[in-house]
Amino acid sequence: MGVDLVTIKNNRYTELYILDIMLTVCYIIIMNRKKYKQLRVIVAFFVAAIVALAVMRNSYLLAVTGISTGMVFMVLVRAKAKIRTDEREATVQEKAARMTYAIFAPTIGIAAFLLLLPSKGGIDVFSKGEWLFTESLGMVFAYLTLFLIAVYAISYHFFNRKFGGGGNEE
Amino acid sequence: MHNLTQEQLADKIGVSRQTVIAIESDKYLPSLGLAFKMARLFKVKVENIFIENEN
Repeated sequence: MGVDLVTIKNNRYTELYILDIMLTVCYIIIMNRKKYKQLRVIVAFFVAAIVALAVMRNSYLLAVTGISTGMVFMVLVRAKAKIRTDEREATVQEKAARMTYAIFAPTIGIAAFLLLLPSKGGIDVFSKGEWLFTESLGMVFAYLTLFLIAVYAISYHFFNRKFGGGGNEE
Repeated sequence: MHNLTQEQLADKIGVSRQTVIAIESDKYLPSLGLAFKMARLFKVKVENIFIENEN
C-alpha cells in the first residue's frame, strides 16, 4: 500500500515535471504575441479534432477532457509567456460587448414579452396543444433577460467602485 | 530617425503591430500610459508626437 502511494506520488511529480518542461519550451518558442496567436490557432484545431473524434465515438468524457486540457494549456502558456491584452484589443472587446448587450437584451426581452402575451392574455389557442411551448419559451427568455440585466448591473457596480465611483463623492 | 520597424516599436511598447498601424493612421487614440511610454522611448515630449486635433 505504502509503495503504491509512493508510486502515485512519483507519477504525479513526473506529470508536473513534463507539464513544466512543455511550458518552458513554449515560453522559449513564444517570444511574441504573433507566435502566441499562431499557437492558439493550432490548439483550437487540435481541440476541434478531439471534439470531432469524441462526437464520432459518442464519448462525452473525451470531449470534456479535450476542451478543458486545451483551455488549461492556453491559460498556463499565457501566464508563463506573460502575454498581456493589447489596449486597442481591449477597447474593441469593450465596444463589442457593449453593442452585444445593447442588441441582445432588448431582443430577448421583447421576444419573451411577445411569447408570453398570447397565453397570459387569455387567448385559448396559445394555452393548449402545439402552442403550449410558447409560454415555456417565453418564461425561459424572460428569466434569461433578468439574468443578463442582473449580471450587467453587478459588473457595472463592481467596475464603478473599482474605478473610483460609488457614493464617496463630496 | 530611430530606424524602428512597426514590429520592433510594437514589441518595445508592449502592444500589437495592428495597434501601431492604427495609431499611425489616426484610427486609434492611445491611452495616456501608452503615449508617455512612446514619448519616453523617443526621448521627446508627448505633445511632440501627438498633436491636439479639435475634430
